[in-house]
Amino acid sequence: MSARYGMVIDIDRCTGCGSCMVACAAENNVPTLPKATARTGLTPMLVRRVSNGREGNARRESFIPILCMHCEHDTPCVEVCPQQAVEVDKATGIVMQMPQRCLGCRYCMTACPYHARYFNWWDPAWPAGMEKSLNPGVSVRMRGVVEKCNLCHARLHAAKERAAAAGKKEIDPTDYVPACVEACPTGAIHFGNLADSNDPVWQEARSPHVFRLLARIGTEPKVYYKSKEPWVRALAESNTGNEAEAQHG
Amino acid sequence: MKVTRRDLLVWSAGAAAGLLVTPVPWKVLDDVSIWSQNWPWIPQPARVPIEVKQSFCTLCPNGCGLRVRMAAGWPVGVAGVTMNPITRGALCPLAFGAHQLNWHPRRMRGVRYRGGISSWPEAHAALTKASEEGRTVVIDGYPGRAASSVLEQFALKRGGSYRVLFGAEARGLRPYETWSDVPASSLGYDLENAKTIVSFGAPLLDGWGVPGRFTRWWAERAAGAEDPQLRLIQIESSLSRTAARSWKWISIVEGSESTLAAGLARVLIEQKLVPARGPIPAVTVSDAAKRSGLTTDQIQELARTIAAERPALAISSDENPSIAALNIVLGSVGVSGGIVRRTKNDRYPVPAEARYPMSRKDGETWGTPTISGARAVVVDASVPWDFVPETDAEVFRFAAWDGGSSKADWLLPAPGFLEDLTDVPSPPSAAVESYAVAPALTKPTVDVRSAAQLLVSIDSSLTSIDNIIHGRCAEIFRQRAGTLYGREIAPVAQIASAEKLEEQLRNGAVWITESAKPAALRCELKEWPSLAVASQDPDWAAAWPVAMLPPLASKLYSESSLREAPARRNS
Repeated sequence: MSARYGMVIDIDRCTGCGSCMVACAAENNVPTLPKATARTGLTPMLVRRVSNGREGNARRESFIPILCMHCEHDTPCVEVCPQQAVEVDKATGIVMQMPQRCLGCRYCMTACPYHARYFNWWDPAWPAGMEKSLNPGVSVRMRGVVEKCNLCHARLHAAKERAAAAGKKEIDPTDYVPACVEACPTGAIHFGNLADSNDPVWQEARSPHVFRLLARIGTEPKVYYKSKEPWVRALAESNTGNEAEAQHG
Repeated sequence: MKVTRRDLLVWSAGAAAGLLVTPVPWKVLDDVSIWSQNWPWIPQPARVPIEVKQSFCTLCPNGCGLRVRMAAGWPVGVAGVTMNPITRGALCPLAFGAHQLNWHPRRMRGVRYRGGISSWPEAHAALTKASEEGRTVVIDGYPGRAASSVLEQFALKRGGSYRVLFGAEARGLRPYETWSDVPASSLGYDLENAKTIVSFGAPLLDGWGVPGRFTRWWAERAAGAEDPQLRLIQIESSLSRTAARSWKWISIVEGSESTLAAGLARVLIEQKLVPARGPIPAVTVSDAAKRSGLTTDQIQELARTIAAERPALAISSDENPSIAALNIVLGSVGVSGGIVRRTKNDRYPVPAEARYPMSRKDGETWGTPTISGARAVVVDASVPWDFVPETDAEVFRFAAWDGGSSKADWLLPAPGFLEDLTDVPSPPSAAVESYAVAPALTKPTVDVRSAAQLLVSIDSSLTSIDNIIHGRCAEIFRQRAGTLYGREIAPVAQIASAEKLEEQLRNGAVWITESAKPAALRCELKEWPSLAVASQDPDWAAAWPVAMLPPLASKLYSESSLREAPARRNS
């Protein structure tokens, strides 16, 4: 049976510490050099600080981790890619990016409504010797290609290998956990199979106060958010790049 | 058929146009792009099997449990240990990139003397000579380690002194030591049993204490709930990360924390919200209101809220006697859910004096030590880079990373992340005693020595770190108390031999005492303390003891503006 991997992120639990960002970058061999800006950096997981727009004691802030939403329906990046470098994996529902096929045209970045794709502007580089600290499970991407969150696909491969070695056809669900989920100190990010009604994430995705970003455009993202704060839920329908409502960081 | 020049031109133009609709030029373009993007000098990770080992983070005194993925003898990934009962798998964000710190461009790569290149034999000779000629003062940042014991032994043998610089969490416990006969090294915050926590600017959800300890607990008991089991009230001038996620954020004028604490105590006593304990502060509620920017009604309401759900524990961001006195008024000292005495020290392998040496010697422990009459000052790598000893003595500064300009005569490269064996005593804010051993998982990337290693090489009569750890493990086994949390959970009483216990500890297990009823702690407060203005660090990452942030953390923070870090740490 094919899976539909996704997440439910409890915004009321997110303290904006950035553990998910650092763990994601370390897991996926994001280069430490050169230093870039908010526009040119590589942040497959990006925590944005948002506010209710009020000042003084009435001001409230929250943190929203933004990553590839792994859209299920009419996936915008898949639709526009001229190189077939992006596809939705039928077995997992993960939107896969293949850097070897990518031409670097960046149509997908333009098409992505969540601004969750990043372009490699430079050759990947690390300070001398630091390449020894790279994760062997993940290839380094070259300059000139687009990249994004792939739900730590290397971990899924590793889990499949372990399952095969143990003579099992299916992976143990607890054996495949993306780095951001593992790193979150408050347990705000819940990961699982949205196609399995026995999975706690399936239940959670149907609980009250759950919403998806820009649900109105109908792309059926597999990343859900949860908050009891009405002003946070209201932000979901606005443009995530609107600096007046959601600042970087 | 005669081929004219015109035919040739038409055919050429047609071929050129036709070629564009074939895959050939695009394939060539793509292959050229791929070829030009994959230069042989672009690093690729080693294709080797991954091995998972356990250790502890020793970059700050909290000693969080680490699960380290190793490839070809180098750490390639860090995660938390879910079996660790203190951190429960959580780490601070900096730990996830800490394995790259050993290759940081600012790594100390060689011995330097007053800006010039020197060597270990020269440093050894200089320190030997200086320690023979006069007093040697040794300064430590993480007391209680086996290495600390070596540093202290050396200083005392040479007629010098051993001093400790404490972090904010430990300084916050100092007033209780003054008002009782219990050293602050035996005190801790029982966060897990409190029902209300009143934080006066302490970044409880942003790296305070053991980073994962409170965040995990808060997430389970309070996050997002309108009527949470744990009420977190954050009293702070700005909307910090902790304030943003707290149950109530009380915005006050910066620096008025002491006055507000005194005002709250006065309301609690006058309105009989708590039984009378200790003196009534001289500060009136209107004084507190005027100073803090709140109204008297708000202060009274806040006092009633705090008193409603007890145990209520007040926590300051740094040493603040007025906030400590508020805990006495609340009856939150020596009780579950308050300030607790961890043990009576008869069941801990590291004596309290060793963990807290300065408090028994002089009053200079807590602030910046004044160093007079010393011939040499040895500053351990655990001391934050920003610390500059005020002295004319010859300064030997150990550090793994170069934090910028330094007044030290000698700069000596120390072991980096997971590069040397050390032990991890109880974290400064913990409510229970713990002990762990952090094995060296990787070889040093440069020629390094720790301060303790150099001192042992100068004075061979000193007990080595390895032997001290061995002795402490044997002591835990001898006491037969507590539980070992390793790959399995086992009471020490069930472990067959001291060797097996030590082996488990050296492989990443942690020993924890039983969480029994808190030991007796009585604080006597004769008069309300002076209203100090505690220092407050705007960002926990900026206060990290290590001179450098992990490269990925500083890069991501700057690219996302998630956190501001000092410029010197962004390199």
